[in-house]
Amino acid sequence: MRDRARGAHIIAVLAGLLAFTASAGDLKLLEPERAFSFSARGIDSRTVEARFAVANGYYLYRDKLKFSIEPATLAGDPPVLPPGKIKEDEFFGKVETYRGDLVVRLPLNAPAPGTTVGVVAESQGCADQGVCYPPQRQRIALPLPALGAGAGAVVEAAPAKRTWFK
Amino acid sequence: MKRRALWVGFIAVAALSLGAGLYFGEQYWRGDPPPAAQSAATLLALTLPDEHGTQQPLSQWRGKVLVVNFWATWCAPCREEMPEFVRFQDEYRSKGLQFVGIAADNEAKVQQFTREIKLNYPALIGGFEAIDLSKTFGNRLMVLPFTVVVARNGTIAHTQIGPLKSDRLQQVIAPLL
Repeated sequence: MRDRARGAHIIAVLAGLLAFTASAGDLKLLEPERAFSFSARGIDSRTVEARFAVANGYYLYRDKLKFSIEPATLAGDPPVLPPGKIKEDEFFGKVETYRGDLVVRLPLNAPAPGTTVGVVAESQGCADQGVCYPPQRQRIALPLPALGAGAGAVVEAAPAKRTWFK
Repeated sequence: MKRRALWVGFIAVAALSLGAGLYFGEQYWRGDPPPAAQSAATLLALTLPDEHGTQQPLSQWRGKVLVVNFWATWCAPCREEMPEFVRFQDEYRSKGLQFVGIAADNEAKVQQFTREIKLNYPALIGGFEAIDLSKTFGNRLMVLPFTVVVARNGTIAHTQIGPLKSDRLQQVIAPLL
């Protein structure tokens, strides 16, 4: 009786393990918006902070990364992207990649307290497992803080449905 | 009675594990969807320009063992596996193996790269729209590289999300040639 119960226990555990490995497989990939989560917040009425949280095992290409503010009439100087990690690419030569967290400040050309601006990111990245994601374009509608108010709340980009070549 | 309760408990654990597996599986997407003899008709119906601007209907390779590889020059893992494809193309051309690349890229970049690696099979320019098509064959995230192997009778024999390693490719094409 006891042995049979133990046998059943083992079977149950094996079944459980099987269920897990079946869903893991040899190649498991995150949805692009999870692999490269894009968010933004208003630091003050004329400064936007854009952030990419790149999941472990994934990277973004620096030269494919572009931020912009909508409407363009509000956009200030082009943002300065921090240097990435230099990687020697056989075809493209030296390329820079970002892993982990990337924070970029996007200045507006004038204060726009309380205005909701569009923060747009175009990005392209790959996974160490050996695949690349298509370029994606994400947009966040970000309300800027009022004059004198502190930094606003972080707004996450909504999961993109169809983001590329549009 | 007690035994029954134990069984119920174990089955519940197994079911929960299965559920969790499915749930967490949802968070990820794994490659290799079951090909289940799906027809490659939509793929074979495509006509795309090659790297020299000549329109190439894929139907011209009907009856061959066709390996359609979706790639781009901006995709390093894609570029890395292609010299191996060149080798396979050389070795098995006479047996009816035909590779076709579909690039989500522009002509100039494709020309430059194909010259560099002396590509010995057509490099068609598909743009992102053609890669969109790969979704139909199980490439839900539309990642690159993605490869579809079509048997001589026009059914899909294998699909591969991510690099197709030589030993796997060998395994897949051997019974088809």
